Amino acid sequence: MSFLNPLILIAAAGVSLPILAHLLNRYQVKQTDWAAMRFLNRSVRVRTRQLRLRDLVLLLLRCLALILLVFALARPATDSAGGLALPGERRAGVVIALDASYSMSHSDGNATRFQRGLERIDVIRQHIQPGDPVTLVLLGGENRVALRNVAYDPDRFATALAELTPTPEPLNLDRVPKHLSALVDDLDAHQKEVYVISDAQTQDWGRISNQQRGAFAGLGERANVFLIPVPGGGNNLAVTGLDLISGELRKGTVARYRATVRNCGSNPVSDIEVRCRVDGVQIDSKRIPVIAPGASETVSLFVPFHNAGPTRITAEVSDDALPTDNVRHTVAVVRDRISVLCIDGSTGEAGRLIMSALLARIDGAEDKDYVVRTVQWPSYPADTLEQADIAVFADVPEITSEQARQLVRFVRQGNGLVWFAGDQVKTAAWNKLLDNVADALLPAKLGLAVDTRDALGVGKPLVPGMPDHTVCRPLQSLPEDLLNETRFLKRLQVEPNDTGFSVLSLAGSRSPILLERSLGRGHVFMFTTSAQTAWNNMAHTPVFPMLMQQVVTYLAGRAFEQPRVVGDSLALSYVEEPDSSDAVFDTPSGQSLTVPVREHRGQYVALLEKSREAGFYEARVSVQAPGMPIAVNVDTRESDVTCLTEQELAESLQGTGLTVASNDTTLLADIATARTDRSSWRLFMIAALVFLVAEGLLADRVLRRNRTRTKQTVQAQPKPAAGNAHA
Amino acid sequence: MTDHLPRTFYLDPEVLKKLGDLELIAREAVEGLRVGSHRSQLRGFSTEFVHHRQYAPGDALRTIDWRVFGRTDRYYTKLYEAETNFDCHLLIDASASMTYGSGKVSKLEYAKYLAASLGYLVLSQRDSLGLSVFDSKVRAYVPPRSSMNMIVEIDRLLREIEPEPRTTIARQLHDTALLIKRRSFVVVISDLLSDVDDILAGLDHLRYDGHNVVVLHTLDPYELSFPFKGAWRFDGLEQEEPLTTQSERIRDDYLKNLGEFLDALRAGCVASHIDYALVDTSRPLDAVLSEFFFQRQSTLVSPSASAHA
Repeated sequence: MSFLNPLILIAAAGVSLPILAHLLNRYQVKQTDWAAMRFLNRSVRVRTRQLRLRDLVLLLLRCLALILLVFALARPATDSAGGLALPGERRAGVVIALDASYSMSHSDGNATRFQRGLERIDVIRQHIQPGDPVTLVLLGGENRVALRNVAYDPDRFATALAELTPTPEPLNLDRVPKHLSALVDDLDAHQKEVYVISDAQTQDWGRISNQQRGAFAGLGERANVFLIPVPGGGNNLAVTGLDLISGELRKGTVARYRATVRNCGSNPVSDIEVRCRVDGVQIDSKRIPVIAPGASETVSLFVPFHNAGPTRITAEVSDDALPTDNVRHTVAVVRDRISVLCIDGSTGEAGRLIMSALLARIDGAEDKDYVVRTVQWPSYPADTLEQADIAVFADVPEITSEQARQLVRFVRQGNGLVWFAGDQVKTAAWNKLLDNVADALLPAKLGLAVDTRDALGVGKPLVPGMPDHTVCRPLQSLPEDLLNETRFLKRLQVEPNDTGFSVLSLAGSRSPILLERSLGRGHVFMFTTSAQTAWNNMAHTPVFPMLMQQVVTYLAGRAFEQPRVVGDSLALSYVEEPDSSDAVFDTPSGQSLTVPVREHRGQYVALLEKSREAGFYEARVSVQAPGMPIAVNVDTRESDVTCLTEQELAESLQGTGLTVASNDTTLLADIATARTDRSSWRLFMIAALVFLVAEGLLADRVLRRNRTRTKQTVQAQPKPAAGNAHA
Repeated sequence: MTDHLPRTFYLDPEVLKKLGDLELIAREAVEGLRVGSHRSQLRGFSTEFVHHRQYAPGDALRTIDWRVFGRTDRYYTKLYEAETNFDCHLLIDASASMTYGSGKVSKLEYAKYLAASLGYLVLSQRDSLGLSVFDSKVRAYVPPRSSMNMIVEIDRLLREIEPEPRTTIARQLHDTALLIKRRSFVVVISDLLSDVDDILAGLDHLRYDGHNVVVLHTLDPYELSFPFKGAWRFDGLEQEEPLTTQSERIRDDYLKNLGEFLDALRAGCVASHIDYALVDTSRPLDAVLSEFFFQRQSTLVSPSASAHA
């Protein structure tokens, strides 16, 4: 026999109380002299034996009732497998975990995997008795508990089931066993069972790591764990990417986006139409002749920008068995014009080279909405940054604190700053600015200029530190020998601060050449080398115009253009302390979420911790303010919907302690075999109540008899005061 | 305290005990009564009180009031002083059972205060006071005297006596009756824990001798209410077997037996024209006396009072 609440058994020591009371009453005799003995003798002689017997019976009943009550509260159970079992009910605490990742939305034409999972839950429910503790949890990127350790009520449970829907998240199998173990520990039950209902995707369940295996084994020690697979077909197309490849996000221009479509199924798919929509209107369409199983194909989609402002762009394929991953979203913030102001602190060479790089066109055409101008450093104080979107500081010796503050504000508003080192740069003056200005402008503290040449006097080439960075992406398309032509002879030593990170560095070392930091809604790029040819030959290679134009494209963009995946946080940065203490995020489904604005490292940010839907969110600084769209896409790791067969699943789960129940018959048989404990607390409770009632009736009878006698005696007794026989 | 009495601060028995001097105790108790509503306690003890009576043959000539004869030419016998100077005998039970007291004052001490108070009243009216102390037999007898020293005598006698168990009371009352020569006022102060028939037989003897008998039945409050709870061992003061018992279980029976005993005793006293008063020793002495005299005064005008005459 085992007890669910064994500590309560300590209360059985309470049985000593009635015994003690009995013994004390019996043996703690007080003594007195007494004159009126003649009125005592007859009474005592007649009554003591009866009272002793009655006391003993009452004592026995009380002790038995107390012990049985303690046993009932301790929730005893016996294992019928052991051969000796008390009468009781077969009960168990149940955790039902339903995979709600978006692969469960995959349909075979009749029903989705999720719907078939709900049908399997109905089978499990038949073996749950009202009052049994039950937990219902949805598994995804983040597990969601719908019911936690509640007494099973069929109606309530059915209502909770009806509200369940799949989430646009992938399954995070790493978290599953640990979370289920915690839920199992919460259950108030002797025997515990866990039912995991999943489509058993190959990518999740076919590659179980040793760590996951150990975690599932730990779960198996706490409860009987059943895995109920609900597999489906393996055909699925997914749009896995939609990226800006070239072009500026400027009114009147056309940008090229690249959509990537992957065939996640096991059969080739032909004639796939990829449609591009801008603000809901289809503007381009491309066809992919065929995609082999497991392969990805890309198409270029050309997006014309007719209006300035935020633009919602989507790429989608036709509906298939899993519609969730058929669409990809991105946002472009289109500007009216782009103006670059270059402040040249050198003799004029740096400014000229930078202008050439920024204005370089294949056809040499000029564009009135793309302006690049250069001013010499001494005239900078007279010039303002109001008309510029991006400021380039090339070899500028120093600036004043006031100018630094203006620059900080300029960047925080969403503009960009590019900073080049050079011979004229006074590092001490810039470092002083970094110390004094609250928002450190540059991503690193400046050091000495160092020679980077090797023993032969050859400079070191460039290597992208972050290949996926927008700035690095076009460099990767360059032939390696062309990229290696760029050599760096000299650079400034730097010490990156907390917010700065390296984007480009020198080959063979981690010495950063280009660093970046975010500041408010804008960014700052810092070259540790010069734009002039004395420190490198960058300006004489194709790398420089590509790099500079990509930097401008990147800086002219907005933070909102960076697509997120479901589960990521969404942030809304403020230029300065906002009037409203809350920001509003509208979800793709039309729900409005209010998020408080918090100050973090001198910047004001409203952070929505988790995005839970795919589509376009809208961030607003207040309820009335215009919204800024943010694209949120599904994580396409979940798009591979291929499932394990029963045999493959059994092999993969070996050593985890999980039992695979692939059909209802197997499931019912497994439940019957596993559920061996019998709960006997009702039996003990009823017995305790019976003894309590019996004790109460007997005690009441005794009391009533005593009261009757007392009443009669008092009526017969004279008032104990002075009186007169004649009265 | 009964409703007909004025709001008076009665003397707690424990306070009286602290006084020590019995005469002082008696005076404190009785003087309090005199300033109260009862002006003449004497009437309570008076048997036949007349001023003059017409001469009858056989009366002594020396008792004729010649001054009345001179005014009225009629013979009147001057009997006032001789008839009202009555004898009062206090019969105090000093048996072992009287030593019981649940508080600081035992029944015997309370009886002593009661006797002293009554004696003080009697002596202060120039009447004579006799005293008899008994337990298993008559331990001491003091013939009636009019001296205040009798109060001191009460104290001395009760202090000198070693209480002994008493089995009967009739014999002691018989013996006392033989010692009392004149028809007197006899006050019996006792807990009367004996057989009812035995008690009534003794009292009847006194009554047959023409005495006016008053019984002050002195009982402890614990004896009247039996408030014990739990297991108790009761050691009998009259050499009975000790008894260990669950007190609350026998309380009902005890009260029933006591009630029956008191009923029988009261009924016997009424039948024999004996004044009976149950005295609770936890009550203030002067309050008890005051109530007793009030009761007695009221019963003197009733038909039953004439039976005492």
